[in-house]
Amino acid sequence: MRVKRWLLLAPLLLTILLLQSYFWVPTYEKQATGNPARLVTYIEASSGDAKILNPILNADTASSGIVGLTFEGLLDLDENLNFRGRLATDWTISEKAYLFTSPSNRLPDGAEVTGTGLADRIRAALQDEAFAALADNVRSIDVLPRVTRTTAVSVQTQDEDGNPARGEVEVTFDAPERVAFSLHRVDQDFFRRLLPVIGDRYLENFPYEQSLIFGEEVSAEIKAQVFAQLPELFPVAEHNPVIDFNLRKGVRFHDGHEFDAGDVKFTYDALMNPKNLSPRTSDFEPIKAVEIIDAHTVRVVYKRLFSPAINAWTMGILPEHLLNAEAMQREMDERGLSDAARAAFGMRDSQFNRSPIGSGRFRFVEWHSDEYIHLRRNDDYWEGPPEYQDYYMRIVPDLLTQEMEFRSGAVDYYGTQPHQVARYKEDDTYQSFSSLGFGYSYIGYNNRRPLFADPEVRRALGMAINVEDFLRYLLYGEGEHITGPYPPNTQWYDKTVEPLPYDPEAARALLEAKGWRLNADGWLEKDGKVFEFNLITNSGNPIRKNIMTIAQNAWKKIGVKCNTQYFEWAVFLKDFVNTADFDAVVLGWSMGVDPDLYQLWHSSQAGPQQLNFIGYNNPLADDLIVRIRQEYDQDVQRELTHRLHRLIAEEQPYTFLYAPLGTRVLDKKIVLVHKDEDGSERYEKIYPIPSGDITFHFHQWRKLEFTPSL
Amino acid sequence: MEDVVTKDPAQSAEELPPSETPWQESLRLFRKDRLALAGAYVLVLLLFTAVFGKVLTEWVVVFDPEVVRLPEKFLPPLTFSSTEEVPAHDRPFGGIYLLGTDELGRDVFARMLQGSFVSLSIGFIAVGISLAIGILLGGLSGFYGNVRLGLVTVDTLIMRFTDVMLCFPTFFLILTVVALLPPSIYNIMIVIGLTSWMGTARFVRAEFLALRKQDFVVAATSVGARDRRVIFAHMVPNAIAPVLVSATIGVATAILTESGLSFLGFGVQPPYATWGNILADGKGFIFDAPWLFFIPGLAILVVVLAFNLVGEGLREALNPKLRRR
Amino acid sequence: MQAFILRNILQRLVLVFVVSVLAHSVIHLAPGEPSEVDPANPRMKPEDIAKIREAFHLDAPLYMQYAYWVRDLASGELKSFKDSQPVLGKIWRRFLNSLPLFICATLLVWTLAFPTGIQAAIHRGAVYDRSTTFAAYTLISVPGFFLSYIVILWVVDLFGVPVIGLKTFGMDMAPPLFQTMDRVWHLVIPSLMSALGGMAILSRYVRSQMLEVVGQDYVRTARAKGAEEDVVIYRHALRNALLPFVTMFGFLLPGLIGGSVIFEQIFAWPGLGRLGYEAILARDFPVILTLNFIAAVLTLAGTLLSDILYAVVDPRIRTGLQGDG
Repeated sequence: MRVKRWLLLAPLLLTILLLQSYFWVPTYEKQATGNPARLVTYIEASSGDAKILNPILNADTASSGIVGLTFEGLLDLDENLNFRGRLATDWTISEKAYLFTSPSNRLPDGAEVTGTGLADRIRAALQDEAFAALADNVRSIDVLPRVTRTTAVSVQTQDEDGNPARGEVEVTFDAPERVAFSLHRVDQDFFRRLLPVIGDRYLENFPYEQSLIFGEEVSAEIKAQVFAQLPELFPVAEHNPVIDFNLRKGVRFHDGHEFDAGDVKFTYDALMNPKNLSPRTSDFEPIKAVEIIDAHTVRVVYKRLFSPAINAWTMGILPEHLLNAEAMQREMDERGLSDAARAAFGMRDSQFNRSPIGSGRFRFVEWHSDEYIHLRRNDDYWEGPPEYQDYYMRIVPDLLTQEMEFRSGAVDYYGTQPHQVARYKEDDTYQSFSSLGFGYSYIGYNNRRPLFADPEVRRALGMAINVEDFLRYLLYGEGEHITGPYPPNTQWYDKTVEPLPYDPEAARALLEAKGWRLNADGWLEKDGKVFEFNLITNSGNPIRKNIMTIAQNAWKKIGVKCNTQYFEWAVFLKDFVNTADFDAVVLGWSMGVDPDLYQLWHSSQAGPQQLNFIGYNNPLADDLIVRIRQEYDQDVQRELTHRLHRLIAEEQPYTFLYAPLGTRVLDKKIVLVHKDEDGSERYEKIYPIPSGDITFHFHQWRKLEFTPSL
Repeated sequence: MEDVVTKDPAQSAEELPPSETPWQESLRLFRKDRLALAGAYVLVLLLFTAVFGKVLTEWVVVFDPEVVRLPEKFLPPLTFSSTEEVPAHDRPFGGIYLLGTDELGRDVFARMLQGSFVSLSIGFIAVGISLAIGILLGGLSGFYGNVRLGLVTVDTLIMRFTDVMLCFPTFFLILTVVALLPPSIYNIMIVIGLTSWMGTARFVRAEFLALRKQDFVVAATSVGARDRRVIFAHMVPNAIAPVLVSATIGVATAILTESGLSFLGFGVQPPYATWGNILADGKGFIFDAPWLFFIPGLAILVVVLAFNLVGEGLREALNPKLRRR
Repeated sequence: MQAFILRNILQRLVLVFVVSVLAHSVIHLAPGEPSEVDPANPRMKPEDIAKIREAFHLDAPLYMQYAYWVRDLASGELKSFKDSQPVLGKIWRRFLNSLPLFICATLLVWTLAFPTGIQAAIHRGAVYDRSTTFAAYTLISVPGFFLSYIVILWVVDLFGVPVIGLKTFGMDMAPPLFQTMDRVWHLVIPSLMSALGGMAILSRYVRSQMLEVVGQDYVRTARAKGAEEDVVIYRHALRNALLPFVTMFGFLLPGLIGGSVIFEQIFAWPGLGRLGYEAILARDFPVILTLNFIAAVLTLAGTLLSDILYAVVDPRIRTGLQGDG
């Protein structure tokens, strides 16, 4: 029977065909040892693929990893988290400050205010011993003539149906003469220090009405709106910090084109171009202008005091010649796009984002979506090429298979989960790292709710929770108890602040002092109401899930009834966090190196969709937060942040839980290679820098054929 | 019921004692199928477990699945709870962890008990929804198929709608809906139910179409029996056999679907423990605490297998064509 | 016949439209926003988010969003929210990745299911039948990811060869034959895993079809004429039992998209299922909608094909289908 034979033969043949392929596949063993190319290849596994490989557009971790290797910024952070020159060799920060001659004001001695008069007065005063420190900082004082500035002011209006809408009103401002100061260093208190010379009330009550002309007839209400914005648009006293970058000469992009000041300005312009939909505009928004002084000098002028702004220049610089208008036009033509698509075409649409060209240590080779991204070393790099020849980021979505690939040697790096750390620490073939990063977890109480309005109550809730237990049992010791809003590995964190003690008895006593009594069911009760609230978090995060369970248990013990709920991330944000419609949340922050806490803690940021969703409101803290972001002197900043830290720790708007240690393992054969002047080499054990990053010296890593004893 | 037997009296008379009804006959056949019988025993056991689980974990708390005992995390099965570390009222029943503890020191046995009820109810409710829709639409289409509503007949309308639903890849559809909606246990039951009725609808329709041409239905209609009577007295009982089979298998599928969703992180969320999410949580500990992975995995395997075997046994026992051989 | 085909195509076009509208409304009405406009990113200002929303037409009325989607899909310029890449190109590349897995799994299912099913039918009730029944149901009953993990760990432990991904890394220099075989090997386990369920179901189905046919008069006649048993089974019975399988081809294609999310996730296989899964997670509406649209078109094309085949093979169907149109 032919049919029968085929029916039996076909599966047999298929099975044989499939199974015999086993004999062609190199075993893990062979891949690791018999293949010299494997030693100069570094393979990393990532759960998710990169989205977009463009420094001004990426926002996810996988993309930033690749972008960080292929692109280079003007600056980066060195081992001690200080700025270090990359595409910029060095930079200087100075300040231009401007002061209106205010026609309605009189100087302290009653003299009228004119430009030259004011300038002369100040020059004379600076000769005085009392102003020596100030005089030392002033480079020059000039008088600028009157100018007329026309600008559009954004106002709240109504459309035809009476719904609120945003509109713009054009106004012309007839600015008076200004005194311009050029300062060596940024000084946020410069004008305050000048007050004895110019009069205590000089900076107030500038008569904007007299020098403002509306482009069109508008209602009184809109006029009021415009006037309210003027002190910010045309400040009487203005600070313009200035950064001058000297750029590195002879640096080339991966396609051989030389890098110069034009690329820096182009990157800035592209980022601010609304068509490109960059998610990072807020980092660059404080910039007033980026000026090209010469091919290797760039001047950045800022609109106002904002010290974290310099951070933005760690972002990679784009090659202008591949992304400018002509290049875009060429790409649109090549792809034969329709008119509708052309109109919407921005940098986001460019193929550049799939095969980027930067100036970093590694050049891009290829990208197979959800499979791998391949980079090769840039032999032309100005600091010399990295040790590794090839870099792969493999996408392995499942953590278990990721670990399996790591253990078999097919992947060089594995981000261990806390419960696995002990197992790897005991294993001689691996080197294991635990280091603090910039993140921390907390329970945030909605400070607007009467239940949580009292800091003592929040303190009591915090004291009922044994954070050491979290650390020991949930994190296996891979975490640190924290006391305040800064990451503990930064200088902003005040290590002298004592953590809340774990003391359920004292917690109960605190609540009893506030009138809460245990009822028959074992719950605390006041005025007939049980101490009950909902604790929510997003689903899909096992650690947060466990925090919820443990907190619920701990509070139950002091008679506080806590109901836990989980919501999918999008729902969680939209319906609860953004609308501040929650009692308490378990969440975490991932912070930056800068000390600016404005978005998270300033009372002006407590509206819908804003990040101070717990509604923390303390004028003292507000003032500190603003001073910190305006301060350019690190030592002063540190002192201020320590005060802020202490203040927030006293108020306990969050129960600060812990900062997790980042844990990961590498093969022990991978070492850090130091090359000395004479060409000799020595090996060093890889170590994490204070930021927690172990890959800081990645370009010096090498995989040896043997396990060194270090 | 009689009609099926009387249709072919000669043959039944040969094989069966005359007093046996088709149901008795099916039961006898089912009993002969040892696999199906074993499955049935497992299911009975499971049903008891689920009910007792509900009672003993929630009403009379003997096994508390929620007590967190951090010092006793990751204990393997059959370990005794140590008296020093854990306060007396937190100790498990009998002082022993039958199936070990998980990453928070919760008693896996208690969690599995609680999970059995939740998992089963997901299966039953989802299948209930799916059957209700399937029988309703299939029946309407099969019985009133020729009634015209404007341009199209009821049958076209319903069957095209069924086709629309079949156009969505089922698991992908469930995933989309579950991922987009807030994850509640009811959503999961409803979504699984709403996406799995198409098969039932199709064969109920086919069965009805076939039955309508059968003599006994034609006879009943011709003597002026009302539609309702014809449907419920004559047609539904005859169409029930395949429905029963597909329901049994449907429960199995729903339990598996839930575990698949849990694997992707969209399953039933805490505080509900289901076998699916215990398994999905356990996979992270496969090297460190393998029982957290294997116990729920094997439990699902056994139960789903039992459902499938019973379903298969029923199919064989209830199929009149095969029975005759 | 032409009228039959034409009417079927028309009906299906209407269906495609309904399906796409339905999918569109479900996805846009569900809570949650694309991750590109996720306000959780503290870097982004409300103005930025508003700009992106506008570029994605998220604030336009639903029917306009649908119109934009249709326009861009037709012109091939539909862009993913996630990376602004053309959606069709993305789907095509993933399709090429999924295809080998799909073909391999389908081949395994169809070649293995027939002999096992037929043998089981021939030896109905014997040890062979019962053990295959048991084995088949066990395979359907294991949660797919549970079995996959066990198999992966076992293979890696025992044989020390890679099983994850499309191919082994660092083989770019190897001769083409090695590279091909390496790719084949990487297909084996994932395709086997995704084939198991289908294999079990299909072999059961083959078995029951064969049993049904074997009882028919023409088979008895053939046997009575003294034809060899093999001839009876493989010529007379099998040919007639095959008919219903024609319809199954129609439902194969959408499996390309939805069937393998879990396996692609575990085996790090960059296929269509994962594309869809990740699009759901990021709420990448254009990708979800287009995938769904393609799945619907494939299903309908498949059913159309099977209807036509059926009509060609069995002219009765044509009139039957005309009846419900």
